[in-house]
Amino acid sequence: MSATTYGWLILAFPLAGMTVNALGWKLIGGRTAGWIATAAIFGSFLSALGALADMLDHHEEERIFTDALFTYAETAGFKAELGILVDPLSLFMCLVVSGVSTLIHLYSVAYLESDEGYSRYFAYLNYFVFSMLLLVLAGNLLILIIGWAFVGAASYLLISFWYRRNTATAAGTKAFVINVLGDVGLVIGAFLLFSETGALDWAGVFEGSRDAFTTNDGTLVAACLMILVGAFAKSAQLPLHTWLADAMEGPTPVSALIHAATMVTAGVYLIARTHPLFEQAPAAADVAAIVGTATLLFAASVALVVTDLKRIIAYSTISQIGYMVLGVAVFAYGAGLFHLMTHAFFKALLFMGAGSIIGAMGGIQSIDRMGGFRRAMPFTFVTFTIGALALSGFPLLSGFFSKDEILAFTLNRGGWYVVLAVLAYVAAGVTAFYSFRMVFRVFFGEPVPEARELEGGHIAHHDPANPMTGEPEDTDVGFPGPEHHIAEREWPMKVAMGTLAALAIVGGAVAVPGLTDTLEKFLEPTFHESRHIEEHPSDAAEYMGLAVGALIGITGIFVAYLLYIRRPGRTLALRERFRGVHDFLERKWYWDELIDAAFVRPARAAGNAGRTVVESVLVQGVIVGGATGAVRAATSLARTLQSGYLRAYVLLLFAGAGLLTLYFLIAAS
Amino acid sequence: MLTIHLSIVVFLPLAAGLLGLFVPRAARFIGIAGAVAVLGYAIAMLLDFDSGGGLQYATDDIWIEELGIHWALAVDGLNLWLVALTAALWVPAAVVCWKRKWDRPQHVFFHLGLAETAVLGAFLAQDLAVFVVFFDVMLVPFYFLVGIWGEGRRVAATTKLMIYTLAGSLLMLVGAIALGVLSTPDGGEPSFLLSDLAERGLEEGTQQWIFLLFAIAFLVKAPAFPFHGWMPDAYRAMPIPILLVFSGVVSKVGVYGFLRIVLPTMPEASQHFQELLIVIAVISILYGSVLAFSQTEARLVVGYSSIAQLGFITLGIFSLDPKGAQGALMQMVNHGLVAAALFLIIAVLAQRAGSESLERMGGIALRAPVLAALFLIVTFATLAMPGSPNFVGEILILFGTFEDKLVYGLVASIGVVLAAVYMLRIFQGAMHNRVGATVDSRDLCRLDIGTIAPIVAIVVALGVYPQVILESTEKDTVSKIAAARAVAHPAPVPAALPPQPGAPQFQVQPGGPPVEGDPGAPPVEVQPGGPPVEVQPGSPPEEVPVP
Repeated sequence: MSATTYGWLILAFPLAGMTVNALGWKLIGGRTAGWIATAAIFGSFLSALGALADMLDHHEEERIFTDALFTYAETAGFKAELGILVDPLSLFMCLVVSGVSTLIHLYSVAYLESDEGYSRYFAYLNYFVFSMLLLVLAGNLLILIIGWAFVGAASYLLISFWYRRNTATAAGTKAFVINVLGDVGLVIGAFLLFSETGALDWAGVFEGSRDAFTTNDGTLVAACLMILVGAFAKSAQLPLHTWLADAMEGPTPVSALIHAATMVTAGVYLIARTHPLFEQAPAAADVAAIVGTATLLFAASVALVVTDLKRIIAYSTISQIGYMVLGVAVFAYGAGLFHLMTHAFFKALLFMGAGSIIGAMGGIQSIDRMGGFRRAMPFTFVTFTIGALALSGFPLLSGFFSKDEILAFTLNRGGWYVVLAVLAYVAAGVTAFYSFRMVFRVFFGEPVPEARELEGGHIAHHDPANPMTGEPEDTDVGFPGPEHHIAEREWPMKVAMGTLAALAIVGGAVAVPGLTDTLEKFLEPTFHESRHIEEHPSDAAEYMGLAVGALIGITGIFVAYLLYIRRPGRTLALRERFRGVHDFLERKWYWDELIDAAFVRPARAAGNAGRTVVESVLVQGVIVGGATGAVRAATSLARTLQSGYLRAYVLLLFAGAGLLTLYFLIAAS
Repeated sequence: MLTIHLSIVVFLPLAAGLLGLFVPRAARFIGIAGAVAVLGYAIAMLLDFDSGGGLQYATDDIWIEELGIHWALAVDGLNLWLVALTAALWVPAAVVCWKRKWDRPQHVFFHLGLAETAVLGAFLAQDLAVFVVFFDVMLVPFYFLVGIWGEGRRVAATTKLMIYTLAGSLLMLVGAIALGVLSTPDGGEPSFLLSDLAERGLEEGTQQWIFLLFAIAFLVKAPAFPFHGWMPDAYRAMPIPILLVFSGVVSKVGVYGFLRIVLPTMPEASQHFQELLIVIAVISILYGSVLAFSQTEARLVVGYSSIAQLGFITLGIFSLDPKGAQGALMQMVNHGLVAAALFLIIAVLAQRAGSESLERMGGIALRAPVLAALFLIVTFATLAMPGSPNFVGEILILFGTFEDKLVYGLVASIGVVLAAVYMLRIFQGAMHNRVGATVDSRDLCRLDIGTIAPIVAIVVALGVYPQVILESTEKDTVSKIAAARAVAHPAPVPAALPPQPGAPQFQVQPGGPPVEGDPGAPPVEVQPGGPPVEVQPGSPPEEVPVP
C-alpha cells in the first residue's frame, strides 16, 4: 500500500472508533468502549508505521506524497480539495500523536471505568485524536482549518465533559471561544495568502508566495502574524493562554491528551509546516520567538506558586510550548519538533502520575494536602520522578537533549537572540525547581492520612466536591466517581505509564549531538529548501550547552531539595517576605482580570445597553436617521391605529398602490 | 430531462390546503401529503437539474398583455436550492402542526399551504410582477397564523409585523411598477420579465431611488438592523412550526430578491449603495450577535442570531464578488436548515423545562443523549464551525468581502467569534450545568427524532460535501452580480460574465472595439443587429471574436 493509503487509514480508524462508540452507547457495556477506542488509535499508530515503512522505501527526494478524495469546495477561483499531505513532518506528528494517544486511551480504559459517561468519553477522545490527525495530515489550508477547529471543538467537549459542573462548562466555553479567535486569525491569514497566490494547497501557497512577496513584505508579515494568532490560541501562548489552566477541569487523561501529545503542540506544528513563509517574513518569526520566550518565563514563574497539582503541570506545559515555539521561530525545526516529541512523553507521564495521585487522594488536587506517598505508591513515585527528571533536563534523559538543542540553536543565531537564550536558561532552572517541588511535596515528608490509608490497602474516599470551589456535588458528577483507580492496581494504567517512562528516559537517543541525527535526517525532505538548514551549532558548542543545561537543572533540583526536604518551613517564610511577588504570581500576572476588563465586560455591557436602550427605543418605534424614516412613520402609525383598523389600512395601501399604478400607466402611454 | 410543470409545483400546496377546507377531518393528512409531494418534486429536480445552469423547466405565458406581465416561472442555480429548502422545511412544519392542538386545524393547514405556494412562487418567479404578487401574498397567511393562532401578545405582534412588512411591500410595489414602466423604451411595449428589465436598463438617478425602495422592503423582510423592530414580538407570538418556516425560509426571500432582481436590473445603483448596504450588514452582524447573547428567551437568541446571519448573507451579496455571492447563497440554505432545527429543538426544550426561558433550563442533557447530540451538531453548525456547511458559506462571504472591503470584512469577522459565544451560551444554558428546578430531563420521542434528525443529517452531509451546492449554483449566481461587479470593477475586458438569460449582455459593435465598462455609463449597450458575443471570463480583449 502507498503512504497516502496508509494516511487515509490513519484517519479512518479513529473516525470509525468514534462512530461506533457514539452510536452504540446503549449496546456497549463494561470496558468494551474503552477497548474499541484504544484499538482504533492503535490502528492509526500501526498505519502510521506502515506509512513510515513505505516512505523509507522511497528515495529521500521522493518522500512527499499527496492525495485527494474529492473536491471539497470550488467556486469562483476558490478551490480546496479534501486532500492529505503525507511527508516526513506530518508522518512524524502522526506517529507521536497516535503513539502517545494510544497509551492515554489505554490509561483511560481503567481510569474512567466508573464514570457514567464512559462510552461518550471515548467517543470524544477518538474524535479528538481524529481531529488532530486531520490537522497534521491536511493537504491544504482549508482542511487544516477544519482539523484545527475540530480539535477546538473536541477539547471543548472534553473539558466540559463533567457538564454538570459550572466551573467545567465555563472552562469549556473559554477554551472554545479563544480557539475560535484563533480560527478567525487563520482564516484571515489564509485569505491574505490566497489573495496573492491564488492557492490554498501547501505547495501552491509556498511557491506562489516565493514569487509574490519580497522578504518581509507587509502582506506576508500580516499573514504570518495572523497564522501566529491561530498558533498562539491553540498552543496557549501569551496573551491567549488563559484557557489552558482552566482546561484542567477535564478528566486527568484528557489533560494528558490535550497537553502532551496533541492540541497544544498544533501551533508548533503549524509554524513548522508554514516555515517557508516565516523564513520569508523573519520579522514575524521574531515576534514568535519573543512571545515564546515571554511565555516560557511567565508560565514557569506561575508554576512556582500554584498549589493545584494539575495546574502546576499545566503551567509547565505552557512554559514548555514556549520553548518549542522559540525553537521553530529561530528556524531550528528539528530541535523544536524533537522537544515536542520528548515533551509528549514526559508530560503525558506526569499527568498520568497526577491522575494516580489524585485518585489516591480521593479527588483532592491541592499539593498542600499531599505528602509522603513514596511508600504507598512506589510505582507512581518512580515513574513520576522519571517524568520530573526529564522535564528538569536531568543529564541523559530525553528532555535534557531536546531542550538544550533549542537553546544551542538560539545562541548560535547570535545578536539579541542571546538574550532570549539566557532567559530560557533561567526558566530552565525554575522548571527544575517547580518539578521537584511537586515530587518532594507529594512523595516525601510525613505521610498524610490518605497515604496511610493506602498503605493499609484501602483507597481514600471523600464526599464528592468540586476541587476548585469546594461545592458539594452528586456522586456521578466528575471525579471521584463511585470508584476510582490508581496505577498500582490497574495494569492498563501501569503499562501506559511504564512505556512512557521508558520513552522519557531513552527518547533523547534520536538526536544526541555528534552521535545520532536520526530525527533531523528523517525530517530533512520537508525542510530541505530551508535557508537555515546549514546553520547548525558546532558539536563543541552543543556540548558546552549541554553542560550548562545539566548544571542549571541539577541546581534547580538541589534548591528544591534544600527548601522542601532540608528546611521544610523555609518556603513559608519566603512567601511572607515576598508577599507582593507571591500574590502577583498567584494571580497569574492578572491576565484573566485584564482580559475580562478589556473584552468580556465591554461586550456584556454592549449587550445590555443594546437590549435596554436601543431595542426598547426601536421597539417603541422611535428611530432616528434618514434611512429609517419610512419605518418610523409606519411604526408610529402602528401606535395610533388600533389593530381593528388594520384591515382598513391594508385596503388603503392597496388602493394607493393601485392609484400609483394607474399614474405610471398614464405617464407611460 | 424530466418534465416538471412548475405551475403545478407552486400551486400544489395551496390546492392541498383548499381541499383540506372541504374535508376538515382529513385536512392534516392532505396538508402533509401536499408538502411531501412538493418535496418529492424538489428532490427530483435536484437530481435532474443540469448543473450547467441557465433557466430550466421554464414556463412563460402572457398573463396580462396590456402591462407586459408574463406568467414566467423557472428554476436555475440561484433558486434551485432555495426551492429545495422550502420543500424540505415545510414537511417538518406540517408534521409539527399535525401533532399540535389547534382551533380549526383545517384553516391552519390552508394557510400553511398558501404560505408555501407564495414562497415557492416568489422564488420561482421570472417576472417582476409575479414576484411582487407572491411576495405580497406571503403576508396574508402569516397575518392569520399569527393573529389567530399566535401566542402571548399576538395582536400587537401582528400589527407590528403587518405595518413593517406592508410598508416594505408597498414601497417595493411602487418600485416594481416604476422599474417596469420607466425602463420601457420609447414606443416599446412595457415588460416585467426580469430578463427584459436587466437588458433595458435605467439611468442611474432613477435606479437609485428605485433601489432604495426595494432595499427597504428586502431588509425589513430579512430583517436587518435597524428594520427589525417587528422581529422580537413576532417571534414571540409565532407558534413554533410557523416560526420554523418563517425564520428558515421566508426571511431568505428578501435577500434572494437582491440577487434575483436588484443586482441585475439596477447594477449602477447597487454599486452606488454598496457601501451603505455593507455598513448595514456589518452593523446587523455585530448588533444581532451582541443582542443574542444578552437574551434570556431561547427563541429570541435564535431570532437575534438570525439578524447576524442575514447580515452575513447581505454582506456576501454586496461584496459584489463571485465568492461572496456564492457564500451568501450557500448560507441562505444553511441558515434555513439550522434555524429550523433550532426552533424544533427549542420546542423540545420548552417541554422539558416548562418554559422557553434559559433561566429555567439547565442540565437537560442528563437523560437525553440523543437530544444533546443533535443539538450539539446544530450548535456547531450555527456558529459556523469549520467542517460545517455554514463555514464554507461564511468563509466564502468573508473571502469575497476581504477582496475589496478588507476593513469591513475584518470587523465582520468579530461576528464569527461572537457567534461562538451566543451559541455556546444557549447550548450550555439549556443542556449543561446543574439541573433546573422544573426540568424533567427525558430524551426525544420518535416524532421529534423524525423531524430533527433528517435536518441534522442534511447539515452533516452538506458539511462533508458542500461542493454539491456550489457546483450547481456557481454559474447563475455569479452571472447575477456580474453587471454590478462590472460597474465596480471597470475591467479592460468588457464583460467577465457568461451570457445568461436575465443577465445584461455585452455586445460588440460590428468591427468596433469592445465596449468598456465605465462607472458612469450603463454597462448595457443594446446594439440592434450586433449579435451577442460570448466572452470568457479573464480572456484578454484581443481574443474577443469580432464578427
